[in-house]
Amino acid sequence: MSDILEPKSIVNKANENIELVEFDEFINNINKYETLGVGVIIQPSDDIILLKDSLYFIETVILDFNNFDDGRGYSQAYFLSKRWGFKGEIIGINAHLDQLQFMLRSGVTSYELLEDYKDFNEDDYSNGFSICYQAAANNSGLKQKY
Amino acid sequence: MYHYSPEDSKFLVERVDQFEKQLNRHLAGDLDEAKFRSLRLRNGLYMELHAHMLRVAIPYGTLNSSQLRALADVADKYDRGFGHFTTRQNIQFNWIELPEIANLLRELSDVGLHAIQTSGKATRNITADPLSGLTEGEIEDARPYCELIRRWFNLHPEFSWLPGKFKIAINGAKLDETALRIHDLGLRLVRNSKGELGFSVFVGGGLGAAAMVGPKTASFVALDDILSYLESAMRIYNLKGRRDHQKRLRIKFLVRELGADEYSRLVDEDWQQTKDDPELKLNLAELEELKKDFALPIKPINLNGFEEKVDFNYSIWKKNNVRSHKVSGYSIVNISLTKLGAAPGDATSEQMRILADLADEYSASELRTTKRQTIVFPYVRKDQVFDLWQSLEKYGLASPHQGTLAQIVACPGGDYCDLAKAVSIPIATRVQQRFDDMDKLLDIGDLNINISGCENSCAHHHVADIGLLGMQKNGEEYYQITLAGETLHETNIGKKLGPSVSGDVVVDAVEEIVNVYLDNREEEERFTDVFKRIGIKPFKEKVYE
Repeated sequence: MSDILEPKSIVNKANENIELVEFDEFINNINKYETLGVGVIIQPSDDIILLKDSLYFIETVILDFNNFDDGRGYSQAYFLSKRWGFKGEIIGINAHLDQLQFMLRSGVTSYELLEDYKDFNEDDYSNGFSICYQAAANNSGLKQKY
Repeated sequence: MYHYSPEDSKFLVERVDQFEKQLNRHLAGDLDEAKFRSLRLRNGLYMELHAHMLRVAIPYGTLNSSQLRALADVADKYDRGFGHFTTRQNIQFNWIELPEIANLLRELSDVGLHAIQTSGKATRNITADPLSGLTEGEIEDARPYCELIRRWFNLHPEFSWLPGKFKIAINGAKLDETALRIHDLGLRLVRNSKGELGFSVFVGGGLGAAAMVGPKTASFVALDDILSYLESAMRIYNLKGRRDHQKRLRIKFLVRELGADEYSRLVDEDWQQTKDDPELKLNLAELEELKKDFALPIKPINLNGFEEKVDFNYSIWKKNNVRSHKVSGYSIVNISLTKLGAAPGDATSEQMRILADLADEYSASELRTTKRQTIVFPYVRKDQVFDLWQSLEKYGLASPHQGTLAQIVACPGGDYCDLAKAVSIPIATRVQQRFDDMDKLLDIGDLNINISGCENSCAHHHVADIGLLGMQKNGEEYYQITLAGETLHETNIGKKLGPSVSGDVVVDAVEEIVNVYLDNREEEERFTDVFKRIGIKPFKEKVYE
């Protein structure tokens, strides 16, 4: 949770050279990507369940949080992180400052904020909660009361 | 009575700090209106017709006198001297200035009150029977469960951005004062054949344009499995709920489109993956601790020799407003805030302070709020009820309307709300004036009239004996009438009587409906029972003849 308290883009540079493919392309050509190592870009409307059996060769999963009011990405992150124990990087892209706490606790491991927030003042940003009331994929740094 | 711990209080302050920073960014132009709207709603803040409205939660409808005084202070300092008790155990302030909101919320946090998730597309304030713990035959007091479930879904990382709002009610009593089957999710405390405690679950109820009674999705979920079940119910909604149509966001549309069986199957399939996760088990030790906090602060008392005072007005008030208590020697007193011309549920700051003082004197400093927008004193000694009534009389709070037709539930309507299609409060006033005769009211008995100013149905008109829904026709205000809705004994959506009637004649129509009821009633028969026996036709004939 220290990542939440000190927000910054923490996308793993080592993954920058991994080939990224859209969800439909990946699902339609799974065999092609099995030996390559790949990152899959998931939109909120994509059925994350279809990814489950391929996670062993996927390096990163990229979840798109562009739509502020669309909460499906949080469940997608939950499935990857907590339900299936995905060990690769779960990147939240087009992220919103005010939703980082939800993204990271749902299992997103790194993120890139939208351009809108490039000049944000860290003093104006706060996810400074000392406690959480529920078990989630990531509870680190918080006193758990439940 | 349950109080937040220091760490809970700290959390409330942290939430205010976060919201204040978001507000400052918005005021500085660094957070656009669409995102700020989403964030402010999650903190209970609406932009209404004339000003900002703040909705403050009254968890499970229970308040102590200090909290009520704090609400009175807010009414004076930040509003125009009054607050509005809602049908879902919240209180709303209608004249809030945006820059003052953080200070207001900080003052409320000092007494353990907050506005977290009182609006927005997340889990709302969880409601309970206002008589929880007080009546005979109750399976259990639902409030400790409300509190544990409220906590769990408080800023829940996965379920804070649902397709639509998500309202939960929990009932542990014989009668359903919570109307749980018109909620997005309703929990009924039940015992299975082994005597074990658990929940029946109902999902997809709701009012509005497509009113629906929530079907049962699980007959019995064990206590410690309830959190994982609720998560699965919400996860299916979060992933599959409609987000493409503003009028189909609620879970009832998903349940309707999938079918209750398929929705239940999907939930169960997901739940089987998580129900054994120890992290998702309800904390039964914490539950037992909470039960101590919610334990009644009274013991049975022997009032042998006590003689009730004889007073005509008192006896009328007592008949309508006082109920028997499961603890011998005590009564439950219901206080109506109804006043002609005022919005039902409105209370002035002065009334709030009077009620707080009286609660200290007569009700162990505790009050409850109800979906009929009344105030309950839960612990009044039988030998002090008369004294309480005298005090209420002195302050104009002894309206004997509770349990009569005059205790109308109405939303703020076109006078205050920018969603309303028609006025509500003036119609309520006209109905009350038409039936301004206590003998007649007593003869009619407990007959509910609810008036909503638009199809959002804030006044729950679908589940009233007589429901009125405001609408516009050719620029004029009309009202659609529904009859025989109910939730107390069973849950039924009211039946549409026929074409809507104009505001000019709607009170005449109400009177005709009441007369048909009286003409056909056998002994103590309730309105819904008469309706079921004689059908809609006699009502239709009278109103449209």
